[in-house]
Amino acid sequence: MKKISRRQFLGMTTKAGAATVFAGIFAPSASSMLGLGGVAEAATKKIKPFTFAVLTDAHLYDIADHKFDHILEKAVSDVNSIKPRPDFVLYAGDLGQSGKKDELIKGKKILDKLKMPYKIIPGEHDYYLDMGQAWRGLFGDEHWSFNHNGVHFIGMNSILVPDFWTLKGLTPKERMGMMEELECHNCGAWGVGEKQLDWLARDVRNVSPDTPVIIMTHSPLWDYYPRWNFQTYDAPQIRETLRKFDKVIAIHGHVHQVVYNEIDNIRSCGLLSTSWPWPYPPVELEYSHIKQRRADPGDFEDGLGGHDIALNADFDAIVHWREFSDLLPDNIKKGLKV
Amino acid sequence: MKKVRNMSFAAVTSVIVVSGALIITSMAQAKPPRSETQIAQERAALMTAVAKGDDLWHSAKLGNNGLACANCHPDGSATNVHTWPKFQTNLGKVGTLREMINWCIAVPMQGRILEYDSEEMIAMEAYATFTHRGVAIAPAKDEQHGAVPVKSGPGYPRH
Repeated sequence: MKKISRRQFLGMTTKAGAATVFAGIFAPSASSMLGLGGVAEAATKKIKPFTFAVLTDAHLYDIADHKFDHILEKAVSDVNSIKPRPDFVLYAGDLGQSGKKDELIKGKKILDKLKMPYKIIPGEHDYYLDMGQAWRGLFGDEHWSFNHNGVHFIGMNSILVPDFWTLKGLTPKERMGMMEELECHNCGAWGVGEKQLDWLARDVRNVSPDTPVIIMTHSPLWDYYPRWNFQTYDAPQIRETLRKFDKVIAIHGHVHQVVYNEIDNIRSCGLLSTSWPWPYPPVELEYSHIKQRRADPGDFEDGLGGHDIALNADFDAIVHWREFSDLLPDNIKKGLKV
Repeated sequence: MKKVRNMSFAAVTSVIVVSGALIITSMAQAKPPRSETQIAQERAALMTAVAKGDDLWHSAKLGNNGLACANCHPDGSATNVHTWPKFQTNLGKVGTLREMINWCIAVPMQGRILEYDSEEMIAMEAYATFTHRGVAIAPAKDEQHGAVPVKSGPGYPRH
């Protein structure tokens, strides 16, 4: 699977006409663990400044000419217009809505219009029809890491739930239908699971504590509103594994909104979708000034958009929510220093 | 004049007598408190409507582009049920929650609107309203009201 994703990546890099600049930035973590280059690059506190972009939650339907297709296309064009050009794009899950292969193929076609390489993780909407089979066939590994300009990037699948379908005798379509509901009350809490926790521990074992780390998951790595799976049940273990680092920036999809939180050394940013904005759940937020205003349901692009994240040499990040409408308060309109 | 006054006296007297009789009658016929059974039946009828509304709320069948109400309004949130009627920009007037539900079905969901007093519409209203029980009424406040927090389960007694 790694070979596929690497080949895809290199193919896109070539298409972008910048192979020499990007070659090797998505070096498989295995080589990092063996000390083959990745670690040496990452084990420096100062980084080479760069910008990357993030998109998420397109929720594409298997319906031709659907409005969400156009919104994702708009976000891709927007990212392509960013100057200076982002080095790469991350995609935080829920490319499709009902896990259908055709939804994912349609999404990949649109994402392939990006002028830079991209890395992607699955969301629950991509996954529970065939347990990720189509997704893996198109995009490769569900978790990965790579080093770029001194930053260690990690992507993980955080939407895994214990089997709730076998005993109930649910069909794959029924299983997917239940998972499609944000409020699914029979589906259980999401997490990354033991295997990925072990992988993460191995992945960062030889990465020095002063290495800047950015981790992307579909769901937040903190308990925001578990009812809607605005949580990851084994996030405490993830945070413990990453505790040795001076600073970690966590970015996550799923919430379809601007939201921010800090726990220990981890600063978490919620991302805008390109489908629909979600209301803030009925809980108090510690960083309640970092929110978007309410969206107009009559404007199908309100509250949606993409993101660019600019990093300076000291790993200060400016997270810029590129909301299509004017729904950001002044304090974050030009970005949030994270 | 005297005659009239006498008539008035008679009228007043008769009113007093009749009123007294009514009071006595109504005391005699006062309704007993609703029985536990009756309360349970009424409650069950409401919860049946809420459950039906919950199903419709999460159904893509009301629309034609795959969307359900719950896509944007999980747990009935961001419906601000308790603030209607109010001026709503997309309706272009002071409208009702039912009108807004139909607007959402017609525009973002591209579906066919419901009859305003249909069983389906009443069920949808029952569901959305039930998710806001206890939330303070604050019309004309320009912010998104969250529904009642839910820890687990459907958020209401459902059998």
